[in-house]
Amino acid sequence: MLGRADNSLTSSFLSGVGKTMAATDEVYLGYTTDEATTPFLRDFLDALAEGTLMKSVCTECGREYLPPREHCQDDLSKCELEEFEEREAKLYSYTIVDFAPETLSSKAPYVVGIGEFPSGLRLTAHITNLMSVPEIGMDMKLAFDEVDERLVTYKWLV
Amino acid sequence: MQSSSLRLPSLMCRNLDIRKMRFSMMARKVGVVAAGHAKFGKRLDATMRELSAEAYKPIYDAGITQDMIDATVLSYAASQFSGQGAGSALIADYLGLHEKPHLRVESACTTGTASLRAAWGMVSAGLYDTMLVLGVEQMNRVSSAKATEYMSQAGDMRWEYPYGISFPAFYALMASRYMAEYDLPHEVLSKISVKSHHYGAQNPYAHLPRTVTVEEAHNSVPITRPLNLYDCSLISDGAAAIVIAAEEKAKEFTDEPMWIKGIGAGASSMMIQDRESLTSIPGAKSAAKAAYDMAGVGPEDIDMAQVHDCFTIAELIAYEDLGFAEPGKGRELIENKEVYHDGSIPVNCDGGLKSKGHPLGATGVSMVYEIYSQMRGEAREPSRQIDDVQIGLAHNVGQSGQFVNVFILERGW
Ligand SMILES: [Zn+2]
Repeated sequence: MLGRADNSLTSSFLSGVGKTMAATDEVYLGYTTDEATTPFLRDFLDALAEGTLMKSVCTECGREYLPPREHCQDDLSKCELEEFEEREAKLYSYTIVDFAPETLSSKAPYVVGIGEFPSGLRLTAHITNLMSVPEIGMDMKLAFDEVDERLVTYKWLV
Repeated sequence: MQSSSLRLPSLMCRNLDIRKMRFSMMARKVGVVAAGHAKFGKRLDATMRELSAEAYKPIYDAGITQDMIDATVLSYAASQFSGQGAGSALIADYLGLHEKPHLRVESACTTGTASLRAAWGMVSAGLYDTMLVLGVEQMNRVSSAKATEYMSQAGDMRWEYPYGISFPAFYALMASRYMAEYDLPHEVLSKISVKSHHYGAQNPYAHLPRTVTVEEAHNSVPITRPLNLYDCSLISDGAAAIVIAAEEKAKEFTDEPMWIKGIGAGASSMMIQDRESLTSIPGAKSAAKAAYDMAGVGPEDIDMAQVHDCFTIAELIAYEDLGFAEPGKGRELIENKEVYHDGSIPVNCDGGLKSKGHPLGATGVSMVYEIYSQMRGEAREPSRQIDDVQIGLAHNVGQSGQFVNVFILERGW
């Protein structure tokens, strides 16, 4: 289990995590790229703004995707968005990014984690409330961050 | 692949192995007949065009002038760095390859070997007899943070990049998982860095030719934990070039050609979270299998390997993906020094991407250059010259495994 305090951590790491928690910067899910927002992605982001995470389900074969995609990888049929209700996950892998790409330099260090839900679906997001070095397999909860009234992103809490 | 064998008359197929026939009857044997290398480093004295000329010059000096080259692949990975679009035209002009057909192939860090794979196809099919393959990258004219950002754009721009998953972060995600699954201490990764720097210090083309101790490597500043500075390859400028020719033509250039014996290519899922395992690179395993099958050899036949050590964890995983060690046992090769130049399977005795440098588009060509010069006994220092290289392997991975090329190269004399 994850200890709540770890003396081996530097104070700069802890303060850095605090910075990551204050998620108000310009870099956000689906908003940093030049890729145009599609109606499908717009629906996903609108649902997220209401605090609902959507997965996608293939209308032909039923395969599920997280993060969602508009076309099924297997048969290229259209997928439909459905509410994703799982919240508990285990940490599959992580990294603490000390040296960040230029756009995110002010937020470093921040922690990126891949969580695995009991259903087997995985999700990649920031872990934002760590008090010590993460441990593979530890329990995490999915949570949401409201950036403004139109912009919400998902994140991991331990 | 399937369709070409289907077209053969069924009588011919009956008692023959289709795979062998495909290569012996339908493809010309192709060899590397000359090679050139620019100094890797922070080359603010040069841009893509000057670096390209530096890599081609030794080939020209060896007597292979522009009029002897039928066509070229002139490639770099990221146009963001130079702002130059369609740059193969610029490079071809700069090198004086007037009116020679050229093209650019791009696949992130495998741009160099993808270029060679494309050129091999054209020469083996008989479209051209002699081709120049040149890989180049100029990365140091922007800050490290900017370069990191450009490289991060090789991740999924919608679902990964916004979380700031840089290129080192992808490999750190693999390292975390590998270290947890196999209980691997970070010091083992540091030992790979120590080896790379040991050999880089002896390579005149290396970007960072100095040695490092396990303690220094282990305690260096964190970049993307668990990886630190000495786990990461360098942001480098540089170029490398080779000339390939069909067997009939090769004899006109050299008595010592290096045959391209096996080519394997593979791919892995775009998002790293979607991979079943993070302790190996699926595309690398399939690429290795394809290359071994085509060459008719196995991992035990390889005398030396150049592997894609963009990060120390990548080299460790490569030992296993290439079949030099069982899954989880790669550490034994570095701990027992089997991957040193006098060990059972020498790996990256030129300093690797870690110490020699990693100018994206040049890297794969530079790997082939190193095998060619080791085979010819031209590694200069006896302390890094590998004994009697008959078969070499180059393993080049792009992004975090979305592209992989493996080449098996054979001494032709
Ligand atoms: Zn489907």
